[in-house]
Amino acid sequence: MTDHTLNGAELAILINRLEGVARKMTNTLYRTGRSGVLNRARDFSCCLLTADCELLATADSLPIHVLSGPDLMAASMKEFHPALERGDAFLHNSPYHGNSHPADHGILIPVIDDDGRHRFTVLVKAHQADCGNALPTTYMGSAADVYAEGALIFPAVQVQREYRDIDDIIRLCEMRIRVPTQWRGDFLAMMGAARIGERELLAIGTEVGWDTLDAFSRQWLAYSEQRMVEQLRRVNKGRATGDSTHDPIPGTPPEGIRIQATVESFPDEGRIEIDLRDNPDALPCGLNLSEACARTAALISVFNSIGGDVPRNAGSFRRVDVKLREGSVAGIPRHPTSCSVATTNLADRVTNAVALALSRLGEGSGTAEFGAFLPPSSAVVSGIDPRTGETFVNQLFLGSTVGAGTPFGDAWVTYLCAGNGGMCFVDSIELDELYQPLLVHERRLLPDTEGAGRHRGAPSLLVEFGPVGCAVEIGYVSDGCTNAPRGARGGGTGSGADQLRRRRDGSTERLDPCAQVTLADGESVLSFCCGGGGYGDPRERHDEQVRQDFIDGWISRRRAREVYGVELDEHGEIVREATTRLRAAAPTTLHPKPIDHGDPS
Amino acid sequence: MRFAADTGGTFTDLVIEADDGGLSMFKASTVPGEPVRGVLAAFDVAADAFGIDRRALLSRGSTFIHGTTHAINAIVTQRTAKTALLVTRGHPDILVLREGGRLEPFNHSVPFPTPYVPRALTFEVTERVLASGEVRTALDESTLVATLDRLRALQVEAVAVCLLWSVVNPAHEQRIGELLVRHLPDVPFTLSHRLNPSIREYRRAIASAIDASLKPLMTRYLGGLSASMRDAGFPGRLLVLTSQGSMVEAEEVRQAPILALKSGPSMAPVAGGRIAAVESPLRDVIVFDTGGTTFDVSLVRNGRVPYTQETWLGRPYQSDLTGFPSVDVKSIGAGGGSIAWVDGGGMLHVGPQSAGSVPGPACYPNGGNAATVTDASVVLGYIDPDYFLGGRLRLDRASAQQAVQRDVATPLGLDLHAAAASVLSVWTENMVQAIADITVNQGIDPATAVIVGGGGAAGLNAVAIAHRLGCATLIVPGVAAGLSAAGAIASDIGRDFRRIFVTSTKRFDPVGVARVIAELRADAHRFAEATGSDTATTRIDLAVEARYTHQVWEIDVAVDPDQILGLDAARILESAFHRAHEQIFGFHDDASAVEAIAWRISVRCAGSDSPALRLKPSDRDGALRRKRRIYFAGTGWQTVPILSFDAMGANERVRGPAIIESPFTSVVIDPTATVHRSTEGNLVVDWRGIVDPHRSPDPRLEQATS
Repeated sequence: MTDHTLNGAELAILINRLEGVARKMTNTLYRTGRSGVLNRARDFSCCLLTADCELLATADSLPIHVLSGPDLMAASMKEFHPALERGDAFLHNSPYHGNSHPADHGILIPVIDDDGRHRFTVLVKAHQADCGNALPTTYMGSAADVYAEGALIFPAVQVQREYRDIDDIIRLCEMRIRVPTQWRGDFLAMMGAARIGERELLAIGTEVGWDTLDAFSRQWLAYSEQRMVEQLRRVNKGRATGDSTHDPIPGTPPEGIRIQATVESFPDEGRIEIDLRDNPDALPCGLNLSEACARTAALISVFNSIGGDVPRNAGSFRRVDVKLREGSVAGIPRHPTSCSVATTNLADRVTNAVALALSRLGEGSGTAEFGAFLPPSSAVVSGIDPRTGETFVNQLFLGSTVGAGTPFGDAWVTYLCAGNGGMCFVDSIELDELYQPLLVHERRLLPDTEGAGRHRGAPSLLVEFGPVGCAVEIGYVSDGCTNAPRGARGGGTGSGADQLRRRRDGSTERLDPCAQVTLADGESVLSFCCGGGGYGDPRERHDEQVRQDFIDGWISRRRAREVYGVELDEHGEIVREATTRLRAAAPTTLHPKPIDHGDPS
Repeated sequence: MRFAADTGGTFTDLVIEADDGGLSMFKASTVPGEPVRGVLAAFDVAADAFGIDRRALLSRGSTFIHGTTHAINAIVTQRTAKTALLVTRGHPDILVLREGGRLEPFNHSVPFPTPYVPRALTFEVTERVLASGEVRTALDESTLVATLDRLRALQVEAVAVCLLWSVVNPAHEQRIGELLVRHLPDVPFTLSHRLNPSIREYRRAIASAIDASLKPLMTRYLGGLSASMRDAGFPGRLLVLTSQGSMVEAEEVRQAPILALKSGPSMAPVAGGRIAAVESPLRDVIVFDTGGTTFDVSLVRNGRVPYTQETWLGRPYQSDLTGFPSVDVKSIGAGGGSIAWVDGGGMLHVGPQSAGSVPGPACYPNGGNAATVTDASVVLGYIDPDYFLGGRLRLDRASAQQAVQRDVATPLGLDLHAAAASVLSVWTENMVQAIADITVNQGIDPATAVIVGGGGAAGLNAVAIAHRLGCATLIVPGVAAGLSAAGAIASDIGRDFRRIFVTSTKRFDPVGVARVIAELRADAHRFAEATGSDTATTRIDLAVEARYTHQVWEIDVAVDPDQILGLDAARILESAFHRAHEQIFGFHDDASAVEAIAWRISVRCAGSDSPALRLKPSDRDGALRRKRRIYFAGTGWQTVPILSFDAMGANERVRGPAIIESPFTSVVIDPTATVHRSTEGNLVVDWRGIVDPHRSPDPRLEQATS
């Protein structure tokens, strides 16, 4: 191998080309996928790894998908299949071998040069509408173990040889996965995207030379590490602990699951340590994290805290040491622990615990808590469409706000959940009513539900929907009803989640936070998603911004006065004197008033 | 004589088509705030060149075609009307939630976009229609009238109305329209089902909001333009360019100003397609336009200009969609003014920041000191500092060298010239990636496409871009510097009409389809009659927006309206869809049924019969041939011939390296390329005898991905 050193321009051009490959894969998959999770929620990712299984380049993807995990998946492919050939492809969804959770199917393709040498691995990973679980949902919160969960598990199983499908595997999936044509469509789209990645990499390797590409990979990872060092040097030195508690659901202790993270910052070394070992043992439910999700959830907080332009790859990850314990609920799961819901609920709690710990290191670090996830507005719905007589199963994305206030500004409002980063699309009411026999009665943001702060958290979103002319089943795992998103550095708590059934006579009843519920014709569900926590003292928010928040209907005059310390007259003009007085006094409350969800009867 | 003027951010381009079909091009500075003055200034330049007075020139015109950034500028600078939005009760946050989505998930310094219409000006209307069209809740007129009184009290200047499922049953929107006329007679309004019949309430709501908010302003603007042109002696007809790559009567734009939102850039593929069709047998064309700050890419696929439903007002996901179908043009921040900088890790970046025209690149005499692409080009000898813009602007070579040395060469540890060449390479790669994004989405393989380069700065790297993409042929047209204005001369009078009608090939509804097509044809004929067009030259095309069952995004499928009314309609639609899907995505699915969602007719009444877009020769610098030393990354300094466009004889073939100059641009011909001037007056570059670096690595893989 030549000891080739690329200059800063060559580096820029090659990374642009490689990210272009990942983007081309992404665009292809996005446009050709069949299920809503794929082409509405963008719940997929495409990335390139070195032959040594180091994450090299990604397109903009859901954060929880691609920080850590692809590396472990590629490593298991190499371990199980030491002799890789051009034309091979592997199906991987095993959370015990590096994947996020079983509903994410990954296609791994080794890129083999003309001499038969494994040079890179491309990975396409996409959340499936169904993965063969015992119930028609991809989030089995109540599954006691992988057997109760029921998903087919593929630990890097070969699905193509010499560019042709191994039909046994396809048939196996078709016998277990609901709406198999939809799965098959997504499989085709994923394979197409992965093969495009392979083709492009082979072309680039041939054009610029494989040894140059190897040199590039080393240099690019070193560059990324250096950029990370610069950022971590700015984080205050110190050690802090943060925690975040998931609400109780079946299979958890009655007080829920408290996740704790201890962060130690070493700015002199440009390094940070995150210790997640002091957490409960795995539980008989589907919330346990996979190793990929535990590591990634911690990394998400670090990247949220340091700004947007440090490349996220194996190079920058070297500066963050995430310590995990085998057999922990937020560590390395042992088979047959269920990790069905690993990408969202507890993962977000890890992100929040690390965020609060970071925020305690000093001003400008960490974020507030993001609201918890999986309210009924994001439920998997299933049933038989009376208009066609056909079975349907799909996840809704009617909206989930949950964004946290950050050191940089107010929350991004349509965040979905901490691990999604706001990448998800929000469903059109009309499309959802066209695809499913549903009627969406209402969808609105609720005033006075934001986590108050110098930078405010997202307000809560109310969505009410129900079936039309039939019954539908909805499955969800709504965290955050008890443990609402807390603020950081003096910021307030955002509104918590809630869900009610509205009966035909108009009366309502509260629903369990984790449930499969059948809604009869004429009934509906009211889904209140969490808001997000605020960052910084709300009395430090610029009074003009507070006034604008009132005019825009985000907050009431009362909240402007009581929480933000800004007195507004009936025209919404600031009363200066009263405001000065209010802002000098101690805060009365930082918490939202309880929402009037209607008296459950 | 026909005139076409495209008002851009910096220059107003004027193209004049003489009665023999020959074109002449002129440029004047745009006058911000008073675009009409820039247009008339361009006519002054033209009148000068023709040696007649302006009034005499204008009096010869039959048609004046106008492209304008007035509408988009009004949005960017927030000078649109105070606009209210009326929506179905229960759904007030359509414009806040938009369709979600985000770029750069870890970049929290980008704020969440504010809604196009503030929440305080969004009002709920008690009513509800179901997906089937059935009325679930009747329109409550008494509360609505109270809301309209409130709008008057708030002195609202325009109103947009978007109710759920108004595309299936428009009765409530229509009734609101009647009440608006009665209660707010002087306030213009837009009804979503009429403006933009599409499913997805956000797209209808945003299109209606944008449209309504532009009505007062565009009515004033077009009235003023028309009066000024008439006062200046122009007796003919005023047409306005649309985002759909056609032109319409000014009255149509007054009715629906959103039509003119991206009127200039949509013309580049019209011109590029016309020129490529004359020069090459290939049917797919990539067209790019490089200006001072932005780089626009558009396409022609199999002879047609593809549309997108996803045009953004600003950056994707950080702004709003227009919600309105328009020619697919992708823009990135890359141009002659793009700034080169090296980050803390030692990596070179070019853009997206731009030095603009003020202060401009370091070599400009305006006090700028950032190293830009223009500076790098001066360092490399690609731009002659004494002959920039035909010598109108003197550039300072020493300042360029100093800036590139300080900002690029020193931090990268390269010598000055290698550093300057690197700036061009990174700039080129940014553009190549932008082109790759749009070609992937539209299913075009650059290796089998012609590429057409336009815009003042295109010549610096057009050859490099084409080579990097593996395009067989590059064309730099004679009209390159005013591609959009030239496209206007080549464009047709036309509009699109769309209706929603959902049907599946599994349960095909021939009666419903026949009704929709009959309605669309009636729309088209009404339009053609209103423009006074000859039916013999009017073309009507039908496209179906369709998808496989379970897919979410529709693609356009061209179908023959007569075939789709026949007995075999479902099968014909299916096979046309399979072909279109195969073309865009590289595969199709025989097992899946096809769902048609929307039906669109495009009517085109021939506007011109000059096919070639040929520029008349200018006499300036006629046969000048010089030599200059320039630098290439691979070969270092070389003395190369500098030829003017007009100095090249028809079909004279020149092997690179060379530079071909015109009064508006200079084209760098790399050592690996050859160039000739076609009989139509365009530069055509190819790589005869060069090995194709883009050959397929494995035939089996080729099969798997095609």
